[in-house]
Amino acid sequence: MKNNYSRLKWVALIILGGILFFLSKAANAAPTTPLFQQQQEVSGIVTDTNGLPIPGVSIIVKNTTRGVVTNLDGEYSIPAAPGDTLVFSYLGFKPVEIVLQQQQQVNVEMEEDISALGEVEINAGYYNTTERERTGSIARVTSEDIELQPIVNPIQALQGRMAGVEITQRGGAPGMAPKIRIRGQNSLRDTQNDNGNLPLYIIDGVPINSAPIPSYTVDISNTGIDPLNTIGLSNIASIEILKDADATAIYGSRGANGVVLITTKRGYAKKTAVSARYYSGMGQASRKMDLLNTQEYISIREQAFENDGVEPIVSNAFDLLVWDRDRYTDWQKDFFGGTAEIQNAQLSVSGGNKNTSLRLGSGYHKEGTVYPGDLDYQKVTTSLQVNHTSDNGKFNMDISLNYGADTNNFLHSLNSSLVSTAVNLPPNAPSIYNEDGTLNWEDWEAGNRTNPLAGLYNTSTTKSENLLANAGLFYELMKGLRLRANLGYTNYNSDELLKMPKRSYNPENWGSVSARSINSIVGRKSWLAEPQLIFNKQFGQNELDVLIGATFQQNSDSRITMSGYGYSAEAQIGNLMVAEDVIVNTDRTIDYRYNALFARIGYNWEKKLFLNLTARRDGSSRFGSNKRFANFGAVGAAWIFSEENFISDNLTFLSFGKLRGSFGTTGNDQIGDYGYLDAYESTQAPGGLIPIQLTNPNYSWEENRKIEAAISLGFFEDKLNTEVSWYRNRSSNQLVGFPLPSTTGFNTILANLPATVQNTGWEFVFTSRNISTRDFNWRTSFNISFPRNKLLEFPDIEQTAYANIYRIGEPLNINLLYRYIGIDPETGLYSVADINNDGSFDYQDRTVVRNNGRNYFGGIDNTFIYKNFSAQFLWEFVKQKGRSAFFQTGNVGNIVNQLQGVADSNNLQVPSQTTLAGRQYTLASNSSLTTTDASFLRLKTFSVAYNFPQVFTQRIGSTNGRIFLNGQNLLTFTPYKGLDPQDIGTYLPVLRTVTTGIELTF
Amino acid sequence: MKISINIKRLLFLMGTCLLASCESFLEVDVPDDKMVTETVFASDETAESAMQGIYYQLFNATFSGGTTSSISVLGGLSADLLQPVTSNNAFLVEFSENEIFTENTGVLAIWRSTYNIVYLANNLLEGIENSTGISEPVRDRLEGEALFIRAFCHFYLVNLYGDVPLVLSTDYDKNSLIPRTETSQVYEQIILDLERAREVLDEDYINNERYYVNRYAATALLARVNLYQENWNQAEELSSEVIDASSLYSLPSLNEVFLANSSEAIWQISPAGRGNILTSTNEGYTFIGSSSTSIKLNPEFVSTLDSSDLRSTSWIGHFSNENYEYDFVHKYKDRSSINNITEYATVLRLGEQYLIRAEARANLGNISGAIDDISKIRERAGIDSTSDIDPNLNLSEIMDLVMKERAKELFAEWGHRWLDLKRLENATEVLGETPTWQETDVLYPIPAEERSKNPNLGQNPGY
Repeated sequence: MKNNYSRLKWVALIILGGILFFLSKAANAAPTTPLFQQQQEVSGIVTDTNGLPIPGVSIIVKNTTRGVVTNLDGEYSIPAAPGDTLVFSYLGFKPVEIVLQQQQQVNVEMEEDISALGEVEINAGYYNTTERERTGSIARVTSEDIELQPIVNPIQALQGRMAGVEITQRGGAPGMAPKIRIRGQNSLRDTQNDNGNLPLYIIDGVPINSAPIPSYTVDISNTGIDPLNTIGLSNIASIEILKDADATAIYGSRGANGVVLITTKRGYAKKTAVSARYYSGMGQASRKMDLLNTQEYISIREQAFENDGVEPIVSNAFDLLVWDRDRYTDWQKDFFGGTAEIQNAQLSVSGGNKNTSLRLGSGYHKEGTVYPGDLDYQKVTTSLQVNHTSDNGKFNMDISLNYGADTNNFLHSLNSSLVSTAVNLPPNAPSIYNEDGTLNWEDWEAGNRTNPLAGLYNTSTTKSENLLANAGLFYELMKGLRLRANLGYTNYNSDELLKMPKRSYNPENWGSVSARSINSIVGRKSWLAEPQLIFNKQFGQNELDVLIGATFQQNSDSRITMSGYGYSAEAQIGNLMVAEDVIVNTDRTIDYRYNALFARIGYNWEKKLFLNLTARRDGSSRFGSNKRFANFGAVGAAWIFSEENFISDNLTFLSFGKLRGSFGTTGNDQIGDYGYLDAYESTQAPGGLIPIQLTNPNYSWEENRKIEAAISLGFFEDKLNTEVSWYRNRSSNQLVGFPLPSTTGFNTILANLPATVQNTGWEFVFTSRNISTRDFNWRTSFNISFPRNKLLEFPDIEQTAYANIYRIGEPLNINLLYRYIGIDPETGLYSVADINNDGSFDYQDRTVVRNNGRNYFGGIDNTFIYKNFSAQFLWEFVKQKGRSAFFQTGNVGNIVNQLQGVADSNNLQVPSQTTLAGRQYTLASNSSLTTTDASFLRLKTFSVAYNFPQVFTQRIGSTNGRIFLNGQNLLTFTPYKGLDPQDIGTYLPVLRTVTTGIELTF
Repeated sequence: MKISINIKRLLFLMGTCLLASCESFLEVDVPDDKMVTETVFASDETAESAMQGIYYQLFNATFSGGTTSSISVLGGLSADLLQPVTSNNAFLVEFSENEIFTENTGVLAIWRSTYNIVYLANNLLEGIENSTGISEPVRDRLEGEALFIRAFCHFYLVNLYGDVPLVLSTDYDKNSLIPRTETSQVYEQIILDLERAREVLDEDYINNERYYVNRYAATALLARVNLYQENWNQAEELSSEVIDASSLYSLPSLNEVFLANSSEAIWQISPAGRGNILTSTNEGYTFIGSSSTSIKLNPEFVSTLDSSDLRSTSWIGHFSNENYEYDFVHKYKDRSSINNITEYATVLRLGEQYLIRAEARANLGNISGAIDDISKIRERAGIDSTSDIDPNLNLSEIMDLVMKERAKELFAEWGHRWLDLKRLENATEVLGETPTWQETDVLYPIPAEERSKNPNLGQNPGY
């Protein structure tokens, strides 16, 4: 099979090479043999209604790829033939179409258009559409909303901005992978190592493996590191998220969880411009828990002893008898109360002429942490985009190279994370350091504890490098028929080195611990080739767009993990040559091949009725040979009813109205590779081989059927726009461990079960131009989503590992809880209901279901522009329930600190340390008592900017300039008493950051 | 037009290439950390690695690994030898009170892990049977080793659970609905497997490592099987065969019995199977007293050992802290270490063979021979037994002596005491004082989860 494949690769390469050769030949040859009419140079100037030139207007010869952009003086020049139609478009202005006669000078005056958003091109992946004409559900965010945010990960910038897109930033340390769910959780497999809920990420046409890079560092091991960190925020032009069947079915078996399209910035055909930007600022943990001070803590502890009638002795009350009863430390301040400094610098150069344009953008970002010690995150990104069009406009080449490298220094605390230690430690615990600055072991030892900062000397450094290369080649074979090749290559490497010197341990234990290191190297490479044919034809009122193409893709993912033990010198930790013992924990390379044929037919009648058919036939190496291929497809349609006379005549306030809907099938192939293979694996110990699972050669894709209906309306000349969508996604054929009796050798076998997960929901989006005058503009956009998630069916769930995780008829993100009865008046302790009266408490008694998912969520964005000033406020809001912070520390009366209010609350059991109290606490902490409102409203982004007046910028030789201030997470309103309501638990809250900066363009 | 012809040609090429090649494009090489079963059994080296994997897995398997859910611990709790240190751990308490619920995790863990090893053995047997690339001597040896492992697993299953599914293939369709097989039939298969193993295995250990199975391991286990089946002649004959192999086996001093490749060991399990830098046995970690230890020795049992009995000092340790004070099993000395492997978990050893022969001889009427064998064991423990034992004991008296000696010698090893009480029907007599004792408790329950997955599995009486 190896041979077959290599032959195939050569065939593919030869074909591609052939295409290129053919194209370049044709491109050069064509001008001498004009096929149609004589081309001539058409030029002119584009102005607004006030006569001011508009730079950056795009001018396209209709139905070709030929296009230019006006320069800063509004001037343009483009080759075109008489009879061609020039289309002038610019965001915020009504497009102008001019059919060329013989004239060579075309000056155009463009009218501002409040509804012009409709003409903005939207990237739908293999094709482009517009806001007005799209049949699918596509949300979009552009560079203005992304680039100034002082964050590391581009996905974070989308929080609160898109309906139906749920993003949770899981902790405030830089680089942690956020969680993203597009229209809910579709797959039952939702663990970090086996997650069937990740969307498909495509950067400039190249799909990338976005699964978080696992980390050994305690404080981020629950999320991993996001490979998207290495994308430069300032190089992103737009991010589109495809949500429904119409938009995602063309991605077939990879579209089930939605598709995230990231497009990088291009150069423009205008005079060379250099843009520089610098900002800096600082961040702090956005929230802290309000905990007891020493006096309050000690009083509760003493009360516990009194209640229990127990005499405090050293072994059970070292905090009262050994530790200093007057000492007070705010551990939250010490452990995560630091200030993270942020610095960011960007430089970009762009320019071009009518044939070629390019952009080079580079950036540097540095961010400290709020943890103690000298830790930071640094990244450098560079991207280069080149676009070239041949003189005759028939050949176009679009190259993009994105390179990013980052270094992430983390703390590796020895046991639990520093944040959970900080909220649990008694406030009178001894000092972390001795007077000489070394770690204090003795005082902690006296209390039978380990110094919580023991991990301070451990270091974890993760270095990543990422190269994304893409080439898009177009050739216009004849009018309306284009050939395209999309070629891509990605190479991602990450290298984590964790060093644990003996110094991190109590010197008393040095005899039995070993200085050690863990080294984890991850490599991900892929190539992609997608030849495509694009056909466009207008006949009468009808317009037809046809696309057919094929995908060849190969990914190769490797991971090596090695541990070194017994280093004698601290300086050498990490160099495996000097380790006494080296153990290779993991060494594997996984190949994945993917092959597809896809097609799209877009049809419209009078730009009023739209029909969009997409289909894909997919083959993937992840499946056994019996199930390699599957077909996916969708139908989408839209009707712009406001174009109908009976509407436009009668409902004059209605400036736009569209009904659209879609249904179709997508799949989910995120199921791990080689699952079908009947194979042995190497044992941990050297030289052994062992089968580790039963194999099922028939396992296959999870299938996701999506249906959507939506209405878009524009009122009062589109001053107010709204879209309401309803969707229902059903994900079936769930790939889960099917239970087997152990007499088969194993307990489960991976198989597709007829279990079905349903996500339904309503999404509302409003945008309005409240005030729009020459000097003052006020825009508001608002989105809100009401998602509902439900496990529809799961045969024999009782026998699976999911029996106590999911309940049929309930959402997936739930807790199964005991029913809380109240405080037992006799004992003063919690009591929960023994539902089946069998005297014991187990899952059969856990009848209360708490939905931890969001009831609704969304964002409100207000932008004000007054002359040269602008201000933007983005509020994010989430309505949800969660686990009360009162149950995140521990039983009241134990040696753990508590939330303020614990002494006055009537809902909490009396301070006590008896076994019974502990047992009742444990039961109650898994009961309905813990449910609390964890909703929040957060000022996610606040920014103000001042654009320098021209008189000033001209003096310094600049064309444009501004200063700005940006704040993230400045305010949070929530009834939740714990750390960050966004991600409930004792994790580092997101940072509250303020940055200021300056930007100049020359 | 010329161009359009080119396009057509190109499209045609593209199309045919795509349609014809999809299938082969999707073939990926097997990743380098996996090996297709067929390839594993294509050569001697890789087939041997598969057997090595089973030896390693025995260390990691719950029933054989020496952790708190292993047969050594749970069997000792069920009998009168071991006790949980605290009453917090419900699943241990259920064993020590002989009041096991069908949902008990220990019962399930033993069942599961044993059948997993049975699967591995069957998979290897099927692999070598279908292979043509393995040399004859290696095939024979692997067959013997795998058959021994399969017999060993079935032996414990049938003794702990009574009638059990006899699994002889890897077909999961069949094995998921397999019913229980009568005890006598399970024993027939165990004997068949062990006899075949004796035929094909060599006397020597590979690389002198006693974690490999050799012919004597099969002989020693077969001797035990025959003892349990009361085939006294065969039991005596087979145990003698092992005892007579004096160039391989002898009785070293008490502190050397559980060392790696000790001269007493017939078959051991190496901690190398753990695959990390920890080099100690789990038995050491489970038993040796510390603030986190959950298993202790029953003080009543400890009191049966005279202070002159060296085993009371060499094999028993004492632990105390502010909360607890107890005696613990100290056969393994290494609780946790990362240096060199000093101890292997010992499964079959010469001491047991002497006691098997003593019991067989007693039942065959050879009282003096039985006393000689018991004396061998007692002498090593520093007890001068020639003057101690009356040579005119009757059968029940000598059996009583053998049983006491078995408890003192084999305590906390592989559930010997529990299986002895059961096979000699002494359990009610010895454990009857436990308030929750019932005669049916001699068999563990079939795990509830297994029964819910396989409707053909019945339950033992009393559960």
